[in-house]
Amino acid sequence: MRQWIVMYNKEMLEMWRSFKWLWVPLVFILLGIMQPVTTYYLPQILERAGGLPEGAVIEIPLPTGAQVMAEVVSQYSTMGILILVLAGMAIVAGEKQSRSIGLILVRPVPHATFITAKWAGLVTLTISSLLLGCLAGWYYTELLFDHVNVGHLMSGVLVYGFWLIFVITILVLMSTLLRGNSAVAFVTVLIAVSVSVLTGVFERWMLWSPARLTHHTSSLLVNGATGEGFLLSMGVTFMMIIAILMAAVLALKRQELGD
Amino acid sequence: MALLEVRQLTKVFGTTQAVKNITFSIEEGRCMTLLGPNGAGKTTTLRMLSGLLTPSGGSIRFAGVAQGEDIRKLIGYLPQYPVFYNWMTGVEYLVYVGQLSLMSKKAAQNRAIAMLSRVGLADAARRKIGGYSGGMRQRLGLAQAMMHNPKLVILDEPVSALDPIGRREVLDMMRDIKQETTILFSTHVLPDAEEISDDLLIMNGGQIVVAGSMSSVMEQYRQPIIRLRGETSLDIWLPSFTALEGVESVIGNGEYAELQVTDLTQGRLALIKLIADMDIPIRKLEVAELSLEDIFMKAVQA
Repeated sequence: MRQWIVMYNKEMLEMWRSFKWLWVPLVFILLGIMQPVTTYYLPQILERAGGLPEGAVIEIPLPTGAQVMAEVVSQYSTMGILILVLAGMAIVAGEKQSRSIGLILVRPVPHATFITAKWAGLVTLTISSLLLGCLAGWYYTELLFDHVNVGHLMSGVLVYGFWLIFVITILVLMSTLLRGNSAVAFVTVLIAVSVSVLTGVFERWMLWSPARLTHHTSSLLVNGATGEGFLLSMGVTFMMIIAILMAAVLALKRQELGD
Repeated sequence: MALLEVRQLTKVFGTTQAVKNITFSIEEGRCMTLLGPNGAGKTTTLRMLSGLLTPSGGSIRFAGVAQGEDIRKLIGYLPQYPVFYNWMTGVEYLVYVGQLSLMSKKAAQNRAIAMLSRVGLADAARRKIGGYSGGMRQRLGLAQAMMHNPKLVILDEPVSALDPIGRREVLDMMRDIKQETTILFSTHVLPDAEEISDDLLIMNGGQIVVAGSMSSVMEQYRQPIIRLRGETSLDIWLPSFTALEGVESVIGNGEYAELQVTDLTQGRLALIKLIADMDIPIRKLEVAELSLEDIFMKAVQA
């Protein structure tokens, strides 16, 4: 356990020194603020942008605060995931490429400790960024729209966090399996997008899918209750995270690294 | 007492057998050199001993350690091209790897500072490793290998990539380390091996071709040679040298010739007679013994 904490602290320090602790939360906060602000000022923006005939009337119904927050979260499903993938793609692959992993694995460090400490570091960054982003978005939503139930917001963030952790876990596995950073990023995004799209198309048969968690998040925010099959998809996501982590540990063990 | 015993160790990569059934042991407190040309299987062997590669067959036994137990905590390893975390400082890195080797934070900090000053990096301790020179990295590599007081230190070509000054420094440090622990290092710089090691292992094509203590190997391969230097090229007389009694082989190169003789007294007498009879213009005649380099070439080409 002490080794695990030492490695986890090293991950945190590395992310701090490489400014990941600065730019990842910053991007999440910006995304969180932009959604309510642009939604609120959309009529003015359209007017200023020009190109509309004289006398055109734009009438956009003002969404509720909960709807705006649901939009914020959906921003994280695209831009947010992209940023996280960019920040974390080198987490194992980078150490394999530079070969610095060799001098670590000659120490009596279990492979599982190596992988899970790195994973936990990324999860900490992800959840902190998500939380900060949602709080910033919530603040502007309160100012510009109406009240959003904080309890609903927090449970929504928690459920959505599980989906992001699922994606991060795939990222860690890919970073262990593949060599190039761009390959890691590409495959991870491809898997995340495929799961989302398939879940959207075959909704009836894929109630178990981790991507359903995004649906439950909006439903929590807007209606204050999760949709059908919530526990099922939570359970499946949890099991899959464990299974993927175990696969990553196994993959690291089977690779003959050195030098 | 043998510290490490290796039996029938084998490593197969795909279809090539990099290491074939090698058996040897290292005595505690000794310094052993692993010699061999490129591709002989030296690095593969060292990486199996350090736990980075899983052997395809055979066993590695550490004295006092049960089979299957993690031997990595007893071994310090320095690869040929050590790579550290460039964003860490020297002292941070040592404390980190020390803690990974199950040292407490306090012990790791004390040891890190002691090791850094011992390898001459005290001034650079708080600088980022990214700014270290090649020689400094090699010295940090030695420090990290020694951090956790290992029973055995494995060094893969520790001096090959260094300039003469860096090489000298690392050799001096190895002599220092030798007082404390057992060393196994690979090299292809022969004088270095001769200078600091007690035992010798020559590998070629994945097999051990020569093994033993430095003195016994020298004894075993001791063969007198006579070196000649002429005023003009000696090439025309080479066949006559070869024909002499007691001369095993002759290597000629312009003004120089080298004769391997089975019996020095007899060979020398015959040679001197020949030189007098044929009026060969000799500038120098020298009696010598096979150097480690000659032994190496002989073992590897056989």
